[in-house]
Amino acid sequence: MRPIGAGFVLLGTGISMIGASWDVQWHIDVGPDTFFTLPHLFIYAGAAIAGIASLVVVLAVTAAQRRGETPDPSDGGVPVRVFGGTFTAPLGYLVAGLGAAAFLLYGLIDLWWHTVYGFDAVLNSPPHVALFTTNSITMIGAVIIAAAAREQRWGRIAMAISVPVLMTFFPITANAFQGVPLPFDTIVAATVLIIVLMLVVTRVAIGRPGAALGTAAALLAMQAILWVFTPWATETYAAAVGLPLRDGLGGEPSLIPAGIPLAGLVAAAAIELLLKRGPALAGGIAGLVLGLTFVLQRDWLGFAPPVTALTLIATTIAGGLFGLLGGYLGARFGAMLRIREKVAA
Amino acid sequence: MIRRLLVVLAVLALSVGTATPAMAYEPVNIVHTERVQVGPYGLTVGFSTWPLRAMQSLDFTFIPDGGIDGKSGTFVRTGPSGSHTYPIPLARHPRKRDVWGLDVFALQVQGTWKFTFAIDGPQGHGEGTLSNLQVLAQPGPPLALSWVVCSLPFAGLIAFLVIAWRRSKPQLALA
Repeated sequence: MRPIGAGFVLLGTGISMIGASWDVQWHIDVGPDTFFTLPHLFIYAGAAIAGIASLVVVLAVTAAQRRGETPDPSDGGVPVRVFGGTFTAPLGYLVAGLGAAAFLLYGLIDLWWHTVYGFDAVLNSPPHVALFTTNSITMIGAVIIAAAAREQRWGRIAMAISVPVLMTFFPITANAFQGVPLPFDTIVAATVLIIVLMLVVTRVAIGRPGAALGTAAALLAMQAILWVFTPWATETYAAAVGLPLRDGLGGEPSLIPAGIPLAGLVAAAAIELLLKRGPALAGGIAGLVLGLTFVLQRDWLGFAPPVTALTLIATTIAGGLFGLLGGYLGARFGAMLRIREKVAA
Repeated sequence: MIRRLLVVLAVLALSVGTATPAMAYEPVNIVHTERVQVGPYGLTVGFSTWPLRAMQSLDFTFIPDGGIDGKSGTFVRTGPSGSHTYPIPLARHPRKRDVWGLDVFALQVQGTWKFTFAIDGPQGHGEGTLSNLQVLAQPGPPLALSWVVCSLPFAGLIAFLVIAWRRSKPQLALA
């Protein structure tokens, strides 16, 4: 049962992420929108799959616990008593389930928002930011579930899928800060923070040399899949519903896959080499590398106005500082994921 | 459990299958128009919502007299503060391909906006401005309230991480 429950949560988060990439590109390349588009269905179905799978596992674990079985923390994380012990919920499934439930609730708020403001193409409306956050919470639940089973092969495979999904998705939330006047690129800084943090989390949680590199390689593979799938799905869907692509498209690559740093492997190598000298140092160096290269990447791919020397320097320094924070937090969160307590809930 | 999940998946797959043919995108309805003289060219600017409100998305149509064939151009929008965009090429509206336009597009702030057009065509180059375009306050609740409600999950996530942090002892084990 364990790999199946985890598998459905992973499947749900993966479908949501693919749907999000597709939806963003649909807005950019095609435009017309209703609530009932295929990309929206992917996003919401993904959340529903992850949420229902979490609920089923929580109910199964609660039933088992009532039969007198002791919950196994490798089955989704430390068991948590919910509602005074009415339910026994493995931490990972609890987090994933709450994220999915909140996602569907904010989906209703988003629907209302669109009746007031009309359908929009902005990523940073309040309900959109809430949707990105809640979906990210489900993805964090998936990481906790995967990390709990890290001693098994499927757990490590689940880690190599769930972590890159979170790395791709969570930084989109940083669009909320788009209007804040800061000397550095907030999207780049947020992306650096999440990627460094999760690379260190994975390396520490799995506790094996090469775990960070493997995760960065999986991220690169996910980027390649989205890079091919997103424009294909957008064009195919547009053709299927008889809509043309917009005039004057500049031939840029799709937004979400292009928003994944290409230098993840270099950052992961820095973390692998320097972690024993201190996770904050390792994270800081990785952050400098990612900050510098990611600003240049966004410029090169045409997603930002030509970068000025000042922005480049400020964002590289911000990358270093956010990477330092990511390394520091990542080591502790990674250690937290290693905790294996047999809790008699 | 597997059977239940398969049933859920089947229901979802079915809804995907049946949703596609039912989808139809709304036509572009023009409820208000303004006239602009762009050099030798008369231009009708159409709005799908009137009066305009900040942040509310709508369809804009830009229809030159005699149609868009053989013509090209750019437009610049200037906000109430005087800041303006780079000239953007006039592109066909995605759902009304015989005219230029913008879809799901919103003017973000309340105040007086200007649209400046430049058109090149058989009669040469022309420029003209639609000034005094009034945009009313945004609809709905105050934006600060919306942000507070929609920041709750993020605040909850931070609270969760803080509690988890405080309950765990650092035990770094780097194998």
